[in-house]
Amino acid sequence: MSKRRAFISQTLGIAVLGGSVPSFLASAVDAQPLPQLGTTLDPDNVLLVIQMGGGNDGLNTVVPYSDDNYHRVRPVIGIAQGDVLKIDDRIGLNPVMAPLDDLFKEGKVAIVQGVGYPNPNRSHFEATQIWETASPENPVSYGWLGRYLDRVVPALKIGAAKPPDPPQGSDPGEIFAGVTLGDTVPAAMIAQHVDVPAIGALNTFGYNSGKDSASKTTAGTLYDGARPGQSPYLSLIETTARNAMHGGDVLRAKIASFQNAVTYPSDPFSAQLKVAAQIVGAGVGTRIVFVSIGSFDTHAGQRAQQDRLLGYLATGLHAFYSDLAAHQLQDRVLAMTFSEFGRRVAQNASNGTDHGTAMPLFIVGGKVRGGVYGDHPSLTDLDNGDLKYATDFRSVYATVLERWLGHDPSDVIAGNFGSVAFV
Amino acid sequence: MKLDTSTDPQVGFRPPGPLEAATALDRYDGDFTRRHAAHLLRRAGFGGTPSEIDALASLGASAAVDSVLHPSGDEVAFAAYPDPALLYDDKTRNATAQNWWLDRMLRTRRPLTEKMTLFWHGHFATSIRKVPAVLMVEQIDLLRTNALGNFRTLLVSISKDPAMLVWLDNRYNNKLHPNENYAREVMELFALGLGNYTEDDVKNAARAFTGWTVDKSLAAVYKPALHDDGPKTFLGRSGPFGGEDVVDIIAQQPVHQRFICRKLLEFFVYSDPEPELIEGLARTYALSGYDLAQTVGTILRSNVFFSTRAYRALPKSPIEFTIGLLRLMNVSEVPKDTIGWLQRMGQEPMAPPSVKGWDGGPTWINTATLLARFNYVNRLVKAAPPRPPSEAPPQMTGTTATSATMTAATMPAGTTTGTAMTAAAAAATFPAFTPDDIVRQSGGLNAGRVLAAIVADTVQDDVTGDVRRTLADYLQSTGASLPTPFGPENYQEKIRGALALALNLPANQLN
Repeated sequence: MSKRRAFISQTLGIAVLGGSVPSFLASAVDAQPLPQLGTTLDPDNVLLVIQMGGGNDGLNTVVPYSDDNYHRVRPVIGIAQGDVLKIDDRIGLNPVMAPLDDLFKEGKVAIVQGVGYPNPNRSHFEATQIWETASPENPVSYGWLGRYLDRVVPALKIGAAKPPDPPQGSDPGEIFAGVTLGDTVPAAMIAQHVDVPAIGALNTFGYNSGKDSASKTTAGTLYDGARPGQSPYLSLIETTARNAMHGGDVLRAKIASFQNAVTYPSDPFSAQLKVAAQIVGAGVGTRIVFVSIGSFDTHAGQRAQQDRLLGYLATGLHAFYSDLAAHQLQDRVLAMTFSEFGRRVAQNASNGTDHGTAMPLFIVGGKVRGGVYGDHPSLTDLDNGDLKYATDFRSVYATVLERWLGHDPSDVIAGNFGSVAFV
Repeated sequence: MKLDTSTDPQVGFRPPGPLEAATALDRYDGDFTRRHAAHLLRRAGFGGTPSEIDALASLGASAAVDSVLHPSGDEVAFAAYPDPALLYDDKTRNATAQNWWLDRMLRTRRPLTEKMTLFWHGHFATSIRKVPAVLMVEQIDLLRTNALGNFRTLLVSISKDPAMLVWLDNRYNNKLHPNENYAREVMELFALGLGNYTEDDVKNAARAFTGWTVDKSLAAVYKPALHDDGPKTFLGRSGPFGGEDVVDIIAQQPVHQRFICRKLLEFFVYSDPEPELIEGLARTYALSGYDLAQTVGTILRSNVFFSTRAYRALPKSPIEFTIGLLRLMNVSEVPKDTIGWLQRMGQEPMAPPSVKGWDGGPTWINTATLLARFNYVNRLVKAAPPRPPSEAPPQMTGTTATSATMTAATMPAGTTTGTAMTAAAAAATFPAFTPDDIVRQSGGLNAGRVLAAIVADTVQDDVTGDVRRTLADYLQSTGASLPTPFGPENYQEKIRGALALALNLPANQLN
């Protein structure tokens, strides 16, 4: 811990981007000094990463409503000035995001404008890889969150010497350090040594043998009784299988004591957030939770599709924040969105938008320094018809690593991209 | 020049014990049991049924490897393409292409060729997420055609393959605006490895590959007007090189020979092979003029391949696990939801995570992927076809091994025989390897012999006594879900349950 504190005090001098802050918040934010990280960083801080899959259109999320160019290039799908939830005299939120606007007014939301990277890639697959590995130039095997977990969690995988965990009621320890809510582990969470469970649904996470309960009991016994193997792979498989067999039961038992304090909406994204709140509340040693919502790939008929999804995002996050606040946990969780790219400035012939570049990110949490960071990208100074980015996404990652998780960003992300003062 | 293995996650997973380097690649002529035969079928294919294992075991090592390298009999008459109506429809194209290949893996009578096709797919890792499905189908065909051919020919062919030209952007590489993506990956990932070339080599190779592009219909074309025919310096040689010259120079590098042989050894033998073993195989590879059949043949015939250090020393990849399971269970058609399960297991075919392919080794194994394996087994093995209405359960035999009164000859018509099989016959994705087969093999409804058959058929007896006792307890368990011990009224469910448990043992996760 002392090493970590020393590091943080050295890096506090890093240049931060100035925020353009709504008037009713400006004085408060300006007056507020940067937090003393060494004393306020909670080792139990949790990062919730929200993937907005498909490429979210930033211009209809944080709307530059006072810019005539916006209405000119989006005659059909543009959001009328009178409908926007105004943040200042230039920008405002899509009206379906009223619940998030409420949190913004409470100072719990930061908006980072114009996030991207050099030579942007417009392929879903490749751009997603770039965002999730934080390595635009070279393909790498492990995600940025996976690399963080590899650094902070004791190696489980090469744990041939590790004694078997007691099967029931034991401390789940490191096995839930990173949790994916979904069927598959995204590239961002792929680690070299740390096992990241993918939990599709809490009640079915585990060994499913249907009505044959004897099969499940026996399967657990088979792996509990396994002798330490000679092959390094045998040890790895046995250790992992024990976690797989018992992890779900341990997690469900721990979570049983946590009651969600609010009723979540019924969409799949909110269902993930409900479980995320349970995992945070249960105290199973989780540092990173990964959730996703999609698809934002709105090539045609954008308004209906994107508005529905942004509505899910805003209502879900509001419910999640309220749930945490009811348990006094809102200061321990920081939520962060990302998407593989924004979309083109002009609408296309199908009342949609095609793949573009920079977009805004949202940061939500009790400790967030609310406000807008960075200027809205110009709609006229374009790069090949697309928005120019102003903030490298790796500076946002570096910020949450350093100022939320208390970890040296250079240990995880190649290059120095500075930080943003949202936390 | 030397191999950079610093980013290989399989380092650290070499089996314990010393390598007998002097004789490691000499021909193996020792015992050849069912376990040796099953090992050969798993590594050089996707595993086998008990009868295939028995047949191979009777041949002895030399003839068995011959039969794997040079299969006799005709190949299944596979269609050249999937149904175009599905392959060109945005909604169905990816799954159509993927299932088309999985079906081939399941039913081929040339499993080694298909296994090598899978190897090259992981090596020249191209993804359907960027490349149209029809081009992926054609690339897999190209890999299959060259799977056991000549590496130089393969590398030239893949450099001109439309899927690759799209995937790594060589379609945009021209003399005015060179695109280095393909040239870089040829050296870093396909043939030499990091640290064995310079940035100048990348630039010069990119210039050499200019002109190899695709036309509007995405067919491969060479456009001389786009080609840079100026002088180039590449890996110490100079000349007005084109793409084929670059491939030739690459193949001649000793470090290339070690690079490709190390990867083959990690695929067929064990993780992180010793440098002496790599050197030995690299000599064979170079002397053969980059002939892959000879190189792979040398591996499969070798002492080290049949050594105890190599036995069950690799984790099965998800595709090996899945296709092996379907083959063992005699399923005639890949269940349609298998692609989704393979995603959860971490290896969706035609969709490697990046141009680096799948890292394999320890990265196959985590709680999410293991649970997907377990639950895929449970779902497949325990999904019983509807029982024909006329079927009566067989009778219990005596409790001693010799009192088998119920034999195959006297059993009532089961789900695979007789007249009442309409429902089952339609359900091609249900296992044809049924509890009744196990009962028949065991000579009757005797729990001990049924268990012995299950353990022999699934993991070739690679279990401890404790595991056997635990499985026996399961057959006789009287839990709420199966309230009576093994008997005529519940043998179907009990055998399915025990089969699933055996297939979920650690031994079946290992190849």
